[in-house]
Amino acid sequence: MLPIVSITIFLPLVGALAVMTMRKLPRQGVHAIGIGISGLTLIGTIFMWMRGVEASGFSQVEQINWMPSIGAAYRVGVDGISLPLVLLTSLLFFLTFIFSAKVKDRPHAFVVLMLMLETAALGTFTALDAILFYVFFEVSLVSMYFMIAGWGHEDRQRAALMFFIYTLLGSLPLLLAILGLYLGSDPNTFDMRQWIENPPLSGMAAMLALIAMLFTFAVKIPVFPVHTWLPAAHVQAPAAGSVILAGVMLKFGTYGLVRFSLQMTPDAFREAGQIVLAFGVVAALYGAFAALAQKDIKRLIAYTSVNHMGYVVIGVAIAALATDPAIRATALDGSVLQMVSHGLVTGALFFMVGMLQDRTKTRDMEKLGGLLAVTPVLGWSFILAAFASLGLPGLAHFPAEFQIFLATLRVEPWAIIAILGIVITAGLYLLAIGKVFLGETSEKWAQMKDLELREALTLAPLLFLIIAVGVAPFWILDMIHKTTVALQF
Amino acid sequence: MSALLTVLLAPLLAAVLILVMRRMSEWLALFGLTISAIASFSMLMNAFSGILPKIVIAGLPDMPLHIASTPLTALLSAMVAIVSFFVVLYAAGYMKTDPQKPRFFATMMLFVAAMQMLVLAGDWILLLAAWEIIGLSSYLLIGFWYQKPEAKSAATRAFLITRSADLGLYIAIFILIANTGSSNIAQTLDGPTSMLVGILLLIAAMGKSAQTPMHDWLQRAMAGPTPVSALLHSATLVAAGAILLIKTAPILPEESLLIIGVIGGITTIVTGLIALGETDLKRMLAASTSSQYGLMLIAIGAGVPLAALLHLLAHAFMKSSLFLGAGVFQHSRKSTLFNKLRGAGRDHPKIFIGFALAALALAGIPPLSGFFSKDTIIAASFSSSNAVLLVPFALGGTILTGAYMARAIRILLKGERLAQPLAGLHFMGSGLSVLVIFAVGIGFMFSQIAELLGEHLPENPVAIAFGLAAAFSGLALGWLVPARRLLGQILPWAQNGFSIAGGFDAWFVQPAVFIARQCDRFEQILYQAILSIGQAGLYLGRAARFGDERAIDKAIFAFVRNTIWMGGRARSLQSGLIHKEMALAVIGIALILAALFVYIFTN
Repeated sequence: MLPIVSITIFLPLVGALAVMTMRKLPRQGVHAIGIGISGLTLIGTIFMWMRGVEASGFSQVEQINWMPSIGAAYRVGVDGISLPLVLLTSLLFFLTFIFSAKVKDRPHAFVVLMLMLETAALGTFTALDAILFYVFFEVSLVSMYFMIAGWGHEDRQRAALMFFIYTLLGSLPLLLAILGLYLGSDPNTFDMRQWIENPPLSGMAAMLALIAMLFTFAVKIPVFPVHTWLPAAHVQAPAAGSVILAGVMLKFGTYGLVRFSLQMTPDAFREAGQIVLAFGVVAALYGAFAALAQKDIKRLIAYTSVNHMGYVVIGVAIAALATDPAIRATALDGSVLQMVSHGLVTGALFFMVGMLQDRTKTRDMEKLGGLLAVTPVLGWSFILAAFASLGLPGLAHFPAEFQIFLATLRVEPWAIIAILGIVITAGLYLLAIGKVFLGETSEKWAQMKDLELREALTLAPLLFLIIAVGVAPFWILDMIHKTTVALQF
Repeated sequence: MSALLTVLLAPLLAAVLILVMRRMSEWLALFGLTISAIASFSMLMNAFSGILPKIVIAGLPDMPLHIASTPLTALLSAMVAIVSFFVVLYAAGYMKTDPQKPRFFATMMLFVAAMQMLVLAGDWILLLAAWEIIGLSSYLLIGFWYQKPEAKSAATRAFLITRSADLGLYIAIFILIANTGSSNIAQTLDGPTSMLVGILLLIAAMGKSAQTPMHDWLQRAMAGPTPVSALLHSATLVAAGAILLIKTAPILPEESLLIIGVIGGITTIVTGLIALGETDLKRMLAASTSSQYGLMLIAIGAGVPLAALLHLLAHAFMKSSLFLGAGVFQHSRKSTLFNKLRGAGRDHPKIFIGFALAALALAGIPPLSGFFSKDTIIAASFSSSNAVLLVPFALGGTILTGAYMARAIRILLKGERLAQPLAGLHFMGSGLSVLVIFAVGIGFMFSQIAELLGEHLPENPVAIAFGLAAAFSGLALGWLVPARRLLGQILPWAQNGFSIAGGFDAWFVQPAVFIARQCDRFEQILYQAILSIGQAGLYLGRAARFGDERAIDKAIFAFVRNTIWMGGRARSLQSGLIHKEMALAVIGIALILAALFVYIFTN
């Protein structure tokens, strides 16, 4: 059988190498390669989707021996938790390449970086070997660092520095935890499947490993109080970078939370569940309130990510605390779906903020106003995505948040206080819509152009999927649920 | 396709067609509503002969969606179908010259579809979805003229207040699903949580039905086009709250009923007084809506949801007629202020007769429909174990209704005639006249309706006598005594909407904004702190590097130099300060990894 997973992971890397060799290629050609390669990658992931996942364990596993003496190997595969994220990743990269076809500043380097980032992201979600996972995880951070520093906005130095500090501090604990798990496993192996099947650590060792992992993932998700890199990085990153950062890279954290913390140290997680839950609740509420105070629309959306990812943390903590397998499945279904929904919705919102900024050269909401009358397509698209983000039924976030809150109430009723977040986000989005799109149009913006074809093509698939996930979540939930009901821990 | 799905899908399909074609939007809307109404009626006929279809659709895992026809839901669905059809017929005239017509009719279709979904929902998730989409469509419709600042703020306020109250519904639903293990509505509930559920559902209903103290958004919602007010005050948005309580009445515990009744009672008096003190016709009608829904809550609190249902039906026709009449006067005088409307009734006598009939019906004059529905509510409050509390509320609400309606009729009648031709009067007149016919006559069908639902109308001659006395004395008061004299000292307070210490803004908005500001301030402190830690770390790293470079083996030294060179290449990408550190950090990690591998190999 064709090794679709590996082909898909490394296709963008091959594309990147090809672009590197074609230094003379004009800008359009470079972007065409980017779009073409990421399009093929998207097709590859759709193939993976059609092959589907099995009822338990990992599917489509591909394995090559690498260092058998230490139990490290090249192992990749997917299950119902990673496959939706793989699909999300390839879709968002494809759309980002379409959107970025306008980039004139060093297009070769831009496309190479983005393609490398895509390989790293796909690899992170599909790796079944801890060493491999760690390598992909790190490479993605380096690529994103260059993306912000190289193509960012006015204050990119400071933002890149912030991102860099967190990167350094953030990843080392995970490495220690991985080594701990390795030393605890018998026979020694880096095979993540073995670690999931027979959690190698117990007692104090497991708790220490869990704490180390939680630190790494908390930075990545990000959870209060280690989230401060996020607004800074988002505001300064180019639109394409923001979309990938929020849409794909934040999910490394929540994915790791499920795959490593929950599945490899389940008992320790259960013990620490209340604390993780509290962090999730605080993050969800703090993110919502902080977003409410923002005047910069990009910062506002960045903080709502803290809020939405806080719900994912709540869901995973509830899954750890739940004793009834049905409730645990509900919590995890909601959490995984929330990751996908957040990618679609926030991706669309960041694209649109980029389109606004291209036109108005500002992100300050006080300076905008009445834009719905001049750019109706952009305006209505934004309103749709904003209502999705505030959790309106029929749109992508609702089924996910409903399941998370339902499970929360059944396991830890106090944590339901996080639901206040949905009112705060409603308020902040309505205020933002009011400030930017409603009201009188000022002379200054009267000549603004609505979306061009490239921009419309970028948004249309996201908006369609936001509705599709909201109206009929089962086409994606069935795949997730298949895995979550079979989880044993 | 089954009638059940057609009821829901026909308006949705019409909305899509309107948005795609952007022409003939009023005809597409009317066509969609006709199909929906036919399906709805066939469903009601089937319900009379005992055929109750039900559809199950895939939803969340283990929680499928149910759409179910029951006698109650079929009846409500037919009401929504009739009112929405004639309101849209009226709107075809009212919106004739508006360039944004397609958007208006498409949103109206979404509104109707969501309301039908709420009525027919057989499970909590679908009900919640419909509930929130109703909120969205009213946001879009109230803010239809979004360039006007008052439309913008009214829409935002309506959505925010109702959504805050919606938290009650969310949590009630979570508790219900957690306790019954099913998302199906037809479950019973007992034990201590049932009281909590009752209160949570009441909070949600209070938001949507604009009950005191959450009544203030409804009056501001007048910023939208008049047909929108006619629809959202009668068969849709506001009705959702009462419908929720009527649907869930069987599972509500005894103790929560008293609270519902008292809230309804307070609302009917408070908003009745507001209506009496109003200086604007549409705002008066809006306050009256809250007051009438207060009466319905009294009936639910008295344990007779049937009485609430009948008043809901009658009110839907009466209030939509009143709004449609008001819209004609508004078009003719370019204002809804009572000062500008003096004598407006004489401009369009036929419209005025319709308006007056609906007004008298609402006041409870026999044999118009409002008489029968009010009578059942008063009879219900007499039969309640808390009659001492509920009867005065019900009678007080009835007196106030008579008073403010008489006042409105008097103002419209007395004054100069300023006749001028009006565009679209044809459509408006025909839409209005049919609704008035229902407002007048639906009372005669109440016994059939009660039979369909398998219940009996409460009868009580004492209640009839009291009700008639209240209605007539209210009319007489309103006609003879000026509102200023009636209200006396409380007039300014009533005109201020009885807002307690700043209302919603002071109690909820300002605290939220305050917390948000504090978070933002804290955020900046945190950011600075971490940035300085980071900078300190970088200096340390630089200092430590000298030591490292001397100690490390020559081979590795060369490796590092190569990488620094690479870092230099990277720096040429742009003038960064920290690429060298960055590259070193990556190498550092690689070194740690390598060392560990060596260690593991050798052991």
